[in-house]
Amino acid sequence: MTPLIELTGITKTLTGQERDRTILDGVDLTLHAGESVAVLGRSGSGKSTLLSLIGLFDRADGGRYLLGDKDITRLPERRAAALRSAEFGFVFQRFFLLKHLTAVQNVSMALVNGQGWLPRRKRRARAMAALDQLGIADLAKHKPPRLSGGEQQRVAIARALVREPRILLADEPTGALDTDTGNLVVDALRATTDRGCGLILVTHDRDHAARMSRVLHLADGVLSAPAVVA
Amino acid sequence: MTRLSGGLRSSLIIGGQGIRSRKLRTFLSMLSLFLGVLAVVTVQAGSVIAQRALLSDIELTTGKDGTLQVYLPTAPESGSIAMDTVRGRPDAVALTSTQAIIGEPGVRPVNEGGGPIEDGSGAYSTGLSRYCDASGVCRTVEEDQDAAQLPQGNAIELNLQGLSGDLRQFRPFRQQSGEWLDFGSAPSLSPRIVLNTKAAEAFRQVQVPAEMRVNGALANPTPRIVGVVEDGGYQPTAYVRTDELLNWMPVGAIADPNFGGVQLMMSPAASDLEQILRSRLDAAGANMDELTIQPIDSRERMAGQLSLMRWIFLGMAALVLLIGVAGILNVGLATVGERIEEFALRRAVGTPRLLLAAIVLAETLLTGLLTALLAIGAGIVGLKGASWLLAGEEPFLADVQFPWQAGVAGVIAGLAAGVLGGLIPAVRAARIPIATVMRA
Repeated sequence: MTPLIELTGITKTLTGQERDRTILDGVDLTLHAGESVAVLGRSGSGKSTLLSLIGLFDRADGGRYLLGDKDITRLPERRAAALRSAEFGFVFQRFFLLKHLTAVQNVSMALVNGQGWLPRRKRRARAMAALDQLGIADLAKHKPPRLSGGEQQRVAIARALVREPRILLADEPTGALDTDTGNLVVDALRATTDRGCGLILVTHDRDHAARMSRVLHLADGVLSAPAVVA
Repeated sequence: MTRLSGGLRSSLIIGGQGIRSRKLRTFLSMLSLFLGVLAVVTVQAGSVIAQRALLSDIELTTGKDGTLQVYLPTAPESGSIAMDTVRGRPDAVALTSTQAIIGEPGVRPVNEGGGPIEDGSGAYSTGLSRYCDASGVCRTVEEDQDAAQLPQGNAIELNLQGLSGDLRQFRPFRQQSGEWLDFGSAPSLSPRIVLNTKAAEAFRQVQVPAEMRVNGALANPTPRIVGVVEDGGYQPTAYVRTDELLNWMPVGAIADPNFGGVQLMMSPAASDLEQILRSRLDAAGANMDELTIQPIDSRERMAGQLSLMRWIFLGMAALVLLIGVAGILNVGLATVGERIEEFALRRAVGTPRLLLAAIVLAETLLTGLLTALLAIGAGIVGLKGASWLLAGEEPFLADVQFPWQAGVAGVIAGLAAGVLGGLIPAVRAARIPIATVMRA
């Protein structure tokens, strides 16, 4: 079966004032539909950089990136934006909710991105469905300052899911949450794989990582051999 | 099409959200821009209104743009030929000009020479009245012993313009009271005259229009004042039908130097008339080099008078507008700085760079447009107020309408300010790197 994504020999070097620093040095990674992968590593090991490359926020210096069977290693920004909209959902450590919008508006904002057009009513219906999926439909009219950290992160996950992406990228989504709330958020993320979504979770938390299908270690720019987690 | 529509709608929706969420900042942007747009609207409105007023005045005194003015050769028959050629033609009018004294018989006019008479300040004598006999010899009152012995009394000297047809098609006089000359009726032995406002003012003080003394006339008829018009002139003038005037003149009076010659005004479309006139004058042996036909260039004259002033004021308005643009730019840059995360997030969810720039531009354009509408509204209200307050002192302000050109200029200024003020913030917003921001 063709994997959702396939990275081969990905390299990334950051240009510094004194010397260049290699962040990723020949990373190989595959992700299949319904699979969840945790990426562990120390701070500064390049986990977020890897996620940026996968999510098309940034471009690799070398290697090959296949999305399905399409080579998207060198992609113009306009097409990258279209793919981000169509294929990816993102969850960040900081929730990045817009304070002046309600929860449902924060979710539906992902549908107003110039990639096609949905009428307001349909946008709202889809946003409500996404909130409902995460069990927070009753918070739809609340603005972020009135929501707890866990609720805000679930709104952020709903925003990531509202376009029904095939790949969900989560960058330390539980970093700002307590253990119980973090577990709830991981539950919500894990549930997306049941619907065929591929999940890559960057985390420091080994317990959360252990709940993924696979755990990878990133150290010195190299992603360690996959280890099957029970 | 759907893509464009989606992008456009998205930018307008998000731009509108941005404005609503930052009302105070939007208000501050609008405040600085408001004065600039209002300045542009005011200058444009003032310019259009001044143009209309000036053009209207020039048309009153000189004639409508494009009207042909014909100066005839000095040959004695020229006047008669011209009068005969234009008779019955609706597209041309022959004018004769002479001096006349209207008022108490046997007295000298209070304004010898036909100078203006101001309310309550007496008469201005522009010179001594000149009298010419049938042989063409002219002399002043002082030189004329009989005339010099007359006492000064209730009489007004004015310029008497004889008209072969309705002159208002070329010089749109404003009727002040009564009626205009009726050229369709049979000529009357009591010449009907229409006064200009200066003559009317004079007769308000000297209320004895008993007889009309015209140089070279066989007798002094009693005129009938039928109306008053504003003709833009500064000297007392009366308009009379030429045929009613000639009833009292000797045969061949047209050639009399007292008549001051004949002048024609004709429509630019009357080319056949020009040909006929040329042929007849040529056949009569007139010196054709002396025949001059000049189009009236009212608009050019007006443009020349207004253009410099207009450019100076527009320059000042542009400067004020520039300050408004700087205000939008300042607020726009600060806002983009504050919204880095929002823009990075929007890029992360698939919003293209171009659309991000469009979102910022949509906000500044909406702000500019809203400001322009407010400034135009203020301009309309201001003009109504000025019209209401000052119409008595400045007649051109009465019933003045807000010129649409000023509205268009205001909208253009508002949109241009929106683009200029939003361009740099838009470029900055589009260049925000997602990875750096989301990782921070």
